[in-house]
Parts: sequence; structure tokens; C-alpha cells
Amino acid sequence: MARLVDLILSSVLLAGLYATMAYGLGLIYGVLRVVNLAHGGVIMAGAYLGWVLHKAFGLDPYLSIPVVIAVTFGLGVVMYRLLVRHLPRGAAGGPASLLLLFGVWLVLRNAAYLLFSGNDQSVRTTYSTRAVPILGSYVSVNRLAVLAIALVTSVLLHLLLKRTYLGRAIRAVAQNPDSCTLVGVDVERIYTITFGIGSALAGLAGVLSATIFSFNPAFGSGELLKSFVVVVLGGLGSVFGVGVAALILAVVEVFAILILPSYLTAAVGFVLLVLVLVARPGGLFGQRVLG
Amino acid sequence: MRPRPPRPPALVQPRTALAFTAAVAALAAAPFVLRLSPYTHNLVTLTFLMVSGALAWNWMGGYVGQVSFGHAAMFGLGGFVAARLMLLEPPSPAPLAWLVGGLAAGVFALGAHPTLRLRGPYFSIATIGLGEAARLVFTYWENFTGGSSVLSLPIDVDAKIRLYWWGLGLMAIVIAASFVIRRSTLGLQLLAIKADVDAAGDAGVNATFYQDLVFVLSGAVVGITGGLYASYFSFIEPNDMFGFDRSIGFVLMSVIGGVGTIFGPVLGAIVFVLLRQFLLASYPQLYLGLYGLLLIFIILFEPLGLSGLAIRVARRFGRGHRAAAKASIA
Amino acid sequence: MTPRITSIRRSLFLVLAAIAASVAPPAHAADQLRIGATLPLTGSEARIGGFFKEGYDLAFEEANGKGGLTVAGKKLPVQLILQDDTSTQATAVSLADRLVNSDHVDFLLGTYASHLVEAQSTVAEQNRVPYVNGGGGATKIYKRKYKYLFGLLSPVELLGTTLMEWADEQQKAGKLPRPAKIALVWENTAHGKDFRTGVHEFAQKSGGGYQVVVDESFELNGKDFGALLGKVKAANVDLFLVDAHLPDYITMHRQYVASGMCNKVVSYGARGAEHDAVKALGQENVNYILSGVWWSPQLASKNPQSKRFVEAFQKRYGGRTPEWFQALAYESARVLFAAIEKAGSTDREAVRKALAEAKMDSLLPGGQIEFKAEHGQQVQNPFVLQQNEPDGTAPIIFPHDVASAAGVAVNPRCAK
Repeated sequence: MARLVDLILSSVLLAGLYATMAYGLGLIYGVLRVVNLAHGGVIMAGAYLGWVLHKAFGLDPYLSIPVVIAVTFGLGVVMYRLLVRHLPRGAAGGPASLLLLFGVWLVLRNAAYLLFSGNDQSVRTTYSTRAVPILGSYVSVNRLAVLAIALVTSVLLHLLLKRTYLGRAIRAVAQNPDSCTLVGVDVERIYTITFGIGSALAGLAGVLSATIFSFNPAFGSGELLKSFVVVVLGGLGSVFGVGVAALILAVVEVFAILILPSYLTAAVGFVLLVLVLVARPGGLFGQRVLG
Repeated sequence: MRPRPPRPPALVQPRTALAFTAAVAALAAAPFVLRLSPYTHNLVTLTFLMVSGALAWNWMGGYVGQVSFGHAAMFGLGGFVAARLMLLEPPSPAPLAWLVGGLAAGVFALGAHPTLRLRGPYFSIATIGLGEAARLVFTYWENFTGGSSVLSLPIDVDAKIRLYWWGLGLMAIVIAASFVIRRSTLGLQLLAIKADVDAAGDAGVNATFYQDLVFVLSGAVVGITGGLYASYFSFIEPNDMFGFDRSIGFVLMSVIGGVGTIFGPVLGAIVFVLLRQFLLASYPQLYLGLYGLLLIFIILFEPLGLSGLAIRVARRFGRGHRAAAKASIA
Repeated sequence: MTPRITSIRRSLFLVLAAIAASVAPPAHAADQLRIGATLPLTGSEARIGGFFKEGYDLAFEEANGKGGLTVAGKKLPVQLILQDDTSTQATAVSLADRLVNSDHVDFLLGTYASHLVEAQSTVAEQNRVPYVNGGGGATKIYKRKYKYLFGLLSPVELLGTTLMEWADEQQKAGKLPRPAKIALVWENTAHGKDFRTGVHEFAQKSGGGYQVVVDESFELNGKDFGALLGKVKAANVDLFLVDAHLPDYITMHRQYVASGMCNKVVSYGARGAEHDAVKALGQENVNYILSGVWWSPQLASKNPQSKRFVEAFQKRYGGRTPEWFQALAYESARVLFAAIEKAGSTDREAVRKALAEAKMDSLLPGGQIEFKAEHGQQVQNPFVLQQNEPDGTAPIIFPHDVASAAGVAVNPRCAK
């Protein structure tokens, strides 16, 4: 029974992290129809940024979130205006966008190597290894904080998309960019902002990950793939969908250890990805993704 | 009297075939004539292998238009099957081992059939998933691959030297096959599929069958390349063979050179290998970024890659009109 | 494609080949001995790569400080040609190939980490170049019975065995239950498998004294060990034995502590007392961790070679104390030099023979080394077990002839 509680708690905590990682990817794809392969790179950038702020100014990683978000938003804006803007839209841009953003990721990785060396880094605070007892099980303080922030983020994101003018504009552009131009929405500006927000979310995921994992410039590829799984599972319809999908992925991964050797539990996500893509391309909640 | 219907253009111009054969013969004779150092000899061997792999990838990525980020799975499978066969008592002869490795890889590609229904980025993402899953499973399946460690083959220096000609032969076959596929009816059908799979289906092209066919061929050839690669290094390691970086390598080679052409992957593979060797020794800290920048520039400015650049330069000097027309973009 | 394109392509190919062929190898100065090596100077093992470099540098400086090696009456300075293999096997192999066939080095020194050494040694063997390494400890590397490969790291199986021997003493003294439950977690490499074999074999021969209830592997440079640790936690074991490299050790142990786990005996194999780990994890979290090392600076008080090395190192590197990385690197180079001098020649075959027949004094535990053919030319020197103490030291606790403290048998934090 204690074991079950342990597993459930682990799943929930992990889901929070996965959801935060996936939002950025999902938003950019939903609106721009661009698969952001640099997503992992921006996550890594967020992690390093949080680490640098902690190392140089002693700034607690959670307090550095606003700074990280602002900087990665800016990074996203730059990436869009400099590069992504020039890609052809729609299906024709498919492979091109993948490859372009992959190139960006390589550059980000290399920049990190040059700036920080390839050594593993981690953010160590006084409470890094502290745990609180919950329901008879010990839960790491950091993981709880990540979950809390993830929940707050999803609420804020939901509010942004449903209640603000910007959010409505974003959703409108996602549905039909041409009509939006007709009614006077500056589509390019929306794209820019969306890419920025997507990157900011990735940066947030990065700094949160930095409090739990150690990382190096190659960090982010695993996270990118898991984000794919979540976005594909959850479809593009809703923030809520992404949250549930993250939970599903987390549960599957965590409970898989009961039947699989722990080494292979990482493969579970990928198998799930392929199965969902092939069997139910619309995800569990969203629209069709074929064609 | 009715005029005879015009004969369809020959698959291969006699002049092309002659030039091609001459080039292959020249390369075959090169080690004897030029007295290459062992290092260069090996480097050229490796280049032959990478060219073969890049061209085979391009059949999917360029001809059919399905960009695979998971070809390392077939490369690795081919390599490990071949290596295991060569480690048996008594060891299989290398060419047989390579072929069986290719066969295994082809079967794996057949198994990935369901993903072929997906289009564009979804196919690519699915291949990422497949590639990573394959990597994890095979690194875990230590009895097959030796785990995260290396699988060592017995050292045979003469065999490594002879790999030059095996590699050359493989590359020649793959180039010829690329040419034939491209120029034949199959090539047209693939072009149709690439442009619009549904319309192609309406026009009577059996998209599923042809995509499967090309995927299996592509996988099998990449698998054979993996086998030769294993023989070349006398060791292989699952994280290297099945790794994401390896998959990306195939993509890079074709894109840098020019996706969809024949010249492209050849040039791209050569550049990739040489650049990698040069950078690893002199500026190991920069080669990731350099590839990234190359990719970015190519996507933004010259989607046809270096071969596109070459054509533009040739056209500038007034020599490439027919070349530009013939080297189809698709 | 038009014939023109075909011929363009082909001529391009030939031109490139010609260029590559004409890249002239650098002239080989006959009055200097060139020794090639790669190390992970960037990448996941960069910190340790840097340490190995310190050891190599010290050895080369020492040799050149005497004017070089004395070979057949002449003084021959030595030069280290060092490349960065970024902790990747394919790179390590390419660079080794280049060092031998393009830079024409005379001998090779090893890189760090078993999987890299295993791959690189193939190149050395193919080209018949003696390859002396202090960075690869997995027995698999040496099972191939290569003639040109010489290893100064004792097999990792012995590490597992040594740990268990100590645990056995504790059990016999009543400090550990009988049977004692073990959770065995190992990295999915030859290194990890060796460790696992060592522990398993001991457990099997113990006649029921130990049960391995968890036996799981993990991927090198893993990120999230949550599920794995959850399984260990649920199994309620007495001994938590892990074989991991430094980055995984730090990641895993953080998550271990953060999930409130505590076991009577904890070991991360060769890891534990590293300064970097203490900095990353905090002293209180690494207390009482046992580690088995190939060499410890504390041996300086028992072994004159170690003493000499420690003093030279501290003098050269501003008073810092070396760990086993620097010692093994230094020793590899020194052994190679000694063999060259003994052979009286720079001929690769002669030096190979000198190494194969060597019986030298060494700073390694045991005091002497030999590269016996039956062990694939891998030394079989014993390990020393250290335990982290709350005061920041990590005294040797086993074997008793070099121990300076008695080990604390059960972690006081969780003696249940």
C-alpha cells in the first residue's frame, strides 16, 4: 500500500514537470504549425540561465523564474524574427522547419559547451535534498514546488488563452490566419509573441528541471521527446488536455517499473508516442493531425 | 501509315554509363596508383560507406519526401546482426554477414509500416520515437549487443584495407540504384507520392506499396552499411550505432548536399566526413555549432544544399542550363 | 543527370581524394619521443579527464626535467600529443587512428573510462602500438588477450568482491543481519557488469549470507532515477550497492537523499570521496558512504612510491592532494617510460616485450605491478576501501594492512 502511494505521488509530481515542458511545444505547434526542434535547446538554456543566476548572484532558482522567463521569451522572439519567419507556412514548411530549428538547437548546444564546458552542473540550494513526509512517503521539496508552479502555469495559460484579447487573437490565428489578417489582426506579431511565449515556457521548464536534475549542454533531447509524447497524446485542443496527457505519460512510465526493468521504462514513452500517432492521430482530446 | 510512337528515353545515356564506369574504375585503382597513407585510405573507405548510407536515406527523405530521424535503428541493427554473425564459431564470411544484417534491417523497416501513413512532421516525430525506443531496447538487450559496451570483432588489418573496395562496390551499386530509381517509372511514382499522396492514389499509384518498398530498400542498404561500418572499426557500440546523433548524421548529409538529388547526398557525405575529421582534431568544440549554422543557412537560403549552390555557380558561368533543368528539385 | 554533372561529380571526388592524399604528415623528429593520447577534456567526463591530464603532465615534466628518457645511453625528451575525445567512443577511435597513422606517434597512453579504452585499444592493436592505460578497469577489455594493451586499473570485479569482504566482516561481527538483503544497481557498461559479477559471485558463495533482491541496470548519464530508487526503497534492503560514474553518482544520490532513503551500508563503487561530489551533495549527505578506489593519497604513509608522487604533485599543483585519477595517469606514463628505458630502444616490439615481462615497484596498493598474460595484461592489485567521515576525511578502512581507521559498520542515521 505504501508502495502504491509512492508510485502515485511520483506520477503526479512527474506529470507536473512533463506538462510544463510540453506547453511550450504545443503552443508553438498549435499556432504556427511549426515543430520546434529547438525546444530542447531552450529548455537547456533556461536551466543554464537559472544556474548562472544562482552561481553569480546567489539567486534562488525559484526567484529567478521571472528573469529566466523574460530572457527566454526574448530568445524566442529573436529566433522567430530572424529565422522562423522566413519559413514557408503549412505542410510545405514541414521538413524545412524541423531542420532549421534542429540547426538552431545544435548552435545552442555548442554555445553552451563554449560558455560552460560540457561538465554536468546542478543547482544546489539548502533545501535541495530536503524532503517532506506526505501520506507516509517522503517527497522532495523541489518536486513539490515544481508541481505547484506547473499548476499555476496551466491556470495562467488557460486564462491567457481564454480571457485576454491576446489569447483570443492567438486562438484565432491558430484557426485561420488569413481571416485574421482580414479583420485587422497583425498575424506576424501574434506569431512572434506566440513563439516567445512558447520559448518562455520552455525556459521555465528548464529552470525547474535544473532544481531536480543535473544537466549539461546535451540536456533537453530526452525532454523534447517526452514533450512530443505529451503533445501528441493530448492533442492541440486544450491546456487541460496537455495536463491530462502529461499525467498519463507519467503514470505509464512510473508504473511500468512494476513489470519492466527500470532501464526500459524510458522506452515506454516512445512506444506510446508511436502507438498514439499511428492509432489515434488526433490525440486523445484534440483535432486531427493528419494532413 | 501511322508514325511509330516515340521510344521512351533510355534509362541511362551511354555516355553517362561510360563516365560512371570510368570513375569507379579510377577510384578502384587509386590506392595502387596514388600510394595513399593508411589514414587516407581508411578515410576514403569511411566516405564510401557514408555516401551509401546518405543516398539510401535520401530514397526516403528526398524521393518520397518522408524525412526519417530514426534511420540509426536500421544502421545499428544491420551492424549488430552482422557483427554477431562474424563472432560465431565458425565466423560467417563478412559479405554474407553484411547481407543478413541488411535483411534484418529491411525487416525492421517493414515492421515500421504503420508509421508510413503519417505525413510530414508526424512521420518524422514517429521515427524519432522508433529510433530512441530501438536504441533503448538494444542497449538493454545485452546478449545481443553487449550492452552499453563495445562489441569487439577480431582484428584483421588486411580485411580493413580490402574494405575500401567493398565500400566502393557498395557505393557504386547504391549510386546506380539511385539513378535507376530516379529515372524509372518508380521514380515518377515516388515524385507523385511526395507531391500529394492522396492525388497520387487517385491517379492509380499504390502509395502504400511503394512507400513500403522504398522504406525497406532504404533500411536494408543502411543496414548493410552498418555491417561494413562494424567491420571497419572492428568494434561497434550501441549508443553510437543507434544514437540520435547517428540518425541526425544521415539527415545532415543529405540536406547539406541537397535533398532529393543524387549529387547531393554524395557531396554532403563527403563534406560531412571530411569536416568531421578536420574539426574533431582541430576544433572539437565547434563542430556542432558549425553543422547547425550550415543547416540554418541551407534551409533559409539554398534549400538544394551545396549541390544547389554548385548548380547556381555553374549556371553563372553559363555551363549549366541543361544541368539546372535536369537536376530536378521536386 | 547529365554526363556533365556526372563528370563534375566524379572529378570533384577525385580532386578531394587527391587533396586528402597530399595532406602531408608532419615531419617526424627523430630526436624526440612522441607519445599520443586522448582524454575526455570536454563532455560528461571532463572533470576526470582534466585530472588525468594533470597526472600525464606531471610525469612528462618529470621525465623531461631530467633531460628526457635514457635510451641506450642517449637522452631522449618526450612529448605528449593530447587530443580531446569528448567522452565519445567514435571520436576516441578516430583520433587514435589519426595519432598513429597521421601524426605518427611512437606509443599511446590511454584515455579515461572503460568503454573508451576498449574501443581505442582496438586501434592500437590493429596498428601494433603499445597502449598503456590507467583508465579502463572492465575485465572485458582484457579478455580479448590483446598483446599491445596494458592496463593499470585492477578489474572492477575485485572492487565488488572487496566491498563484500568488508561487509562480510561486519556480518560476522553481528553488525549486519544474516541473511542481509542487497540492492544492486549498476550502469549498463562492462564496468558495471563487472561490479555486478563481483558482488553476485560473493553472494552466491556465501551460503545464504546475502540475497540480492534488486538487480537493475541503468543507462549511463541517466537523469531520473526516481522509479529505480522507488523500487530499492520498497525492497527495504540492508546494503545499497551501486556502480556508477561521477555524474550518475551525483544525480542518483541527490534523488536518494531527497526521497528520504537511508540504508545501513551504501556504496557507489569507486565513487564517494570525490571533492566534487561533496561539493555538489553536501558533506552531511555523503557521510558513511563507502568507496573502493584503486589508489588513495593516504597510501603515502605506507608506500614510498606513493609518498614521492604525492609530494611531487603537491609541489607542482599548489598544495592540492591528488586522487586516484592523477595517480593512475602518472603511473601509466611512468611505467611506459620505465619500459622504454629498460628496453633500451624506442622500437615498439622491444618496448612491448619489456612491458609484458615487467615486474616493477609501483605506487599502487600492493607495491608492485605485473602485466600477466593470463589476465590479459591487466594488473590485479587490490583495492582500498574508504569511508566518508563527518569531519570531511575519508580514511582507508580495509584491507587492514593499510587501514588507518575502523569502518563504521552501519550508517548511524538509519540503524534500524
